[in-house]
Amino acid sequence: MNAQGRRNLLQAAPFIGPFLLLYVGLLIYPLLDGLTLSFHRADPFGGRAFAGLENYARLASDPVFGQALGNTFKYAVVVVPVLTAITLALALALNKPGRTASVFRGLFFSSAVLSVTIITLIWRFVLTPDAGLLAEVWEAAGREPVPFLSHPDLALLAVAVATIWWSIGLPMMLFLAGLQQIPEDIFEAAALDRANRWTTFRRITLPSLRRTAVLVVMLQTAAQLQLFGQAQLLTAGGPGGASRPVVLFIYETAFTRWELGYASALAQVLFVLILAVTLLQFRAGTSRREP
Amino acid sequence: MKSRALLRLAAVAIMGAAMGCAPEERRTEISVQRFFGECGAVYGRSTEVAAAEGECGIVTTLINRFAAENPDLDVDANVVAWPGYAQLTAQIAAGDPPDLVTMHQSVISDYQARGLLEPMDDLLRQAGVRPEDFTAAGRRGVTKEGLIYGLPWDTVGGLYHVNTGLFAQAGLMTNGKPVVPRSAEELLEHARRFKSATGRPYLIQSQVNDPATHVRNLYTYLLAQDAVVFPDPQHIRLRTPEARRVVELFRTLEREALTTRNQDYPAATASFLNGEGGVFLTGTWMLGPFEEEARTPGRPLHDSYAVIPYPRLWGRRAAFVDGHAWVAPKRERSPEQRRALARFIGFMAAHNFDWSRTGHLPAFRSVVESPEFQALPHRSDIAPLAAAGAPLPSFVQRQAAIESMVGEELASAITGAKTVEAALRDAERRVNDLLARL
Amino acid sequence: MKGLADRHRLSPLALAGLSVAALVMVAPLLWTVALSLKSNAELMRDSGTAFFAPYTLENYRAILQGSQVFGWLLNSLIVSLGTTLGVLALCSLAGYGFARLEFPGRRALFVFVLLGLAVPEQAVILPRHQLFADFGLHNSYPGLILPGLAAPFGVFFMAQYFRGIPRELDEAALLDGASRWTLFWKVLLPLTWPAQATLGVFTFLASWNDYWWPLISATRSDRFTLTVGLASSQMNYAQTSGLGYLMAQAVFAALPILIVYALFQKQIVGAMAGAAAAR
Repeated sequence: MNAQGRRNLLQAAPFIGPFLLLYVGLLIYPLLDGLTLSFHRADPFGGRAFAGLENYARLASDPVFGQALGNTFKYAVVVVPVLTAITLALALALNKPGRTASVFRGLFFSSAVLSVTIITLIWRFVLTPDAGLLAEVWEAAGREPVPFLSHPDLALLAVAVATIWWSIGLPMMLFLAGLQQIPEDIFEAAALDRANRWTTFRRITLPSLRRTAVLVVMLQTAAQLQLFGQAQLLTAGGPGGASRPVVLFIYETAFTRWELGYASALAQVLFVLILAVTLLQFRAGTSRREP
Repeated sequence: MKSRALLRLAAVAIMGAAMGCAPEERRTEISVQRFFGECGAVYGRSTEVAAAEGECGIVTTLINRFAAENPDLDVDANVVAWPGYAQLTAQIAAGDPPDLVTMHQSVISDYQARGLLEPMDDLLRQAGVRPEDFTAAGRRGVTKEGLIYGLPWDTVGGLYHVNTGLFAQAGLMTNGKPVVPRSAEELLEHARRFKSATGRPYLIQSQVNDPATHVRNLYTYLLAQDAVVFPDPQHIRLRTPEARRVVELFRTLEREALTTRNQDYPAATASFLNGEGGVFLTGTWMLGPFEEEARTPGRPLHDSYAVIPYPRLWGRRAAFVDGHAWVAPKRERSPEQRRALARFIGFMAAHNFDWSRTGHLPAFRSVVESPEFQALPHRSDIAPLAAAGAPLPSFVQRQAAIESMVGEELASAITGAKTVEAALRDAERRVNDLLARL
Repeated sequence: MKGLADRHRLSPLALAGLSVAALVMVAPLLWTVALSLKSNAELMRDSGTAFFAPYTLENYRAILQGSQVFGWLLNSLIVSLGTTLGVLALCSLAGYGFARLEFPGRRALFVFVLLGLAVPEQAVILPRHQLFADFGLHNSYPGLILPGLAAPFGVFFMAQYFRGIPRELDEAALLDGASRWTLFWKVLLPLTWPAQATLGVFTFLASWNDYWWPLISATRSDRFTLTVGLASSQMNYAQTSGLGYLMAQAVFAALPILIVYALFQKQIVGAMAGAAAAR
């Protein structure tokens, strides 16, 4: 490294140093420690025995992990596009001055302030076939209530619905912010050109939101592939594992089975998968040239 | 402006926190950790044990009472979220476990096998508590490899909670007692008769999010048939005619809609309270609340409640039971602290009757036989559980994890998502996979 | 100019659609509030009674009498505010560094930080627990605050925001003889207020609602945060016997945040104008 480089590094150190220190200490070090752990049989109390690739060989042939992985991706493939579309639509509709839009923004943001313990409690009492809110409505209409939380084909969907309801706030805000950054004069110019609304939307609004959309999709993909609390508390992964995501499996493996090595191996695999998917999205989203 | 207000708020908060740690005089400190919920709102510092109701109320007032009677001790009582094992594991891993902690007897072997618990024989002797006075179930529950690892506090098991009003409608009462089936065929016959007479399902079961329900049934009836479920610490054996028989029975009940379906625990409880079925298969802990309903005029259960142990359907009379215990995680302790712990243990043992008002069976024979316990409603009906009840073999570790695996597979078989054979095979594979790596 | 005026008003169709969506959004919340206002005994029999009077405040009274609730609230405030302030400070510095400074390995380091976005918490929580045990950090405020500070999203977010600020500002300031530090502190940082507000709100929310880390790090009840404290009040079968109480807890825990949101909603939404991450 030349003198200039060293000087620049020295100059940058006070800015990025503190964060990097904590980042490495609190995230990267434990991650690497977890990687080491994944080559061991280990329990939470410091017992460790080297096991080579045993844990990885094991997960490759573990049907429960296979099911959990399938669930996780199935779920993300539903939640991410739906959530993105809903929040984009909401942002487009609510990117307006005035009281009405502001009240609506508040309403759609409100669920984001609740913790996962609470939203699952709420949705249990919406979805349960006995005396749930939907069941009451269904029964009032003379229909047999649907067992959302215990039907193998519906349980994961129930988790997805609860999550979408819960997660609208952040992406909607990001889209709103993206919209507000589009300079007003572009729209005025388009109006002068007598462009109709659809054309304006397609030619101006959407392209300007592309980077926001990529960000939202990446963040949501990473977040949804880490689905945990909602599934644990709403369906406990059931019935028959039909709604068990990978992270719940990791949690069970670590905390009720005390198989820390295996849990770490599972976590490493999930980490690599999330990384791969989000990187692909990033490349797909930024490869074309900006308009 | 805003940031200054925030800063001030933070400053006030930090000072408030600092004030909380005022210096205190030198008293022997013991830390006691328990689950059963936090109910300081109702019981606060009350020491009126006799006036308290329910698990949380009774345990809160008991600990308050102990603290009040022992002013020379500083009793630090910590309440953890149910069931508290993630926290306990974290505390032990961090080298800072509590002095005494509530633990299910089925969980003891996990910590004991890893050398994380102290054998309690000495502490019990110091407290003047004799293991010979424990009930059979209680003693089995805390004994591991010949040593005693806890003060058993109760025996908890599954019971047949009966709506006698509906039973009468179906002609299933004689001499004011529910008619109990004596075989699987007879149970199905009763259930069908019950359904055609009342239009309601015979059984109420919490089958969603509740693996314990099915596992309790399976273990109980495997015990009754003297089936060997765990031939050794590394294996479970479920692909047996005995197991198939039990699962098939519950599959048939489900298929013929002789039981409620798709209910989780709160839903099943509400169903029973509202008189929507004949028998609720749940544990000792609901005895108190149901008894209270039975005393309340106007309620569907009013004067219509009885409770009995699981009927004998195959083999002999048996019941799979668990129980709660106080255990002592290994850590450094001064002689004063050990004496203080012994006092706490002695106190809890002496108040075993108070705890049995929760509905759980006492862990001391003298309490089971005492007139005051027998005078509590229904207790004489369920007392056999304290003698006949049996846990899994004490060498079986990870019973909680095993329960959720087996329960999950059983649920698949009973709802018909898998065949009985496939479910038992999968359960066996998953459990053996876990046990092989201990 | 018709098109322009149009874009500032909600069409009746949009209004109708939004109202339906808002109803779906709010119905579960109203259901929760209704349940919280019913007596537990009544709900145990039939939660459908929540549609009808009589309503009662007994559950809220019970919460307020719970001696420890205010302590938990205070802990949550300290932890959430501490995390938020820490994240804002660290991420502003780092975001500026990555956006504006040239130094060897900058790109690689930035990608290294972004990797953090893909790390599932479960992958680090156990080794981190051990680490904190070694340093005696459990059951302490630093122990609860520190993990939240390793926030790669915040760095990414702030870096993008700094990139959106015209470089001419820097050049002008540097020409005037300002140091890098003055430039950051006096010129650029004040311009990032919208991004700070946004990042602050989301960090605060995430910290306030965090569950697993406080559950295993704060094991003493006087160190519980509100989320963990309320969870500890739930008995094993509390859903049956104390449904109304549980729901009142849910409302109670959400209330402080709702108030904060109501107070700051203008800033939050308005401020995000410039904050669009991806500029």
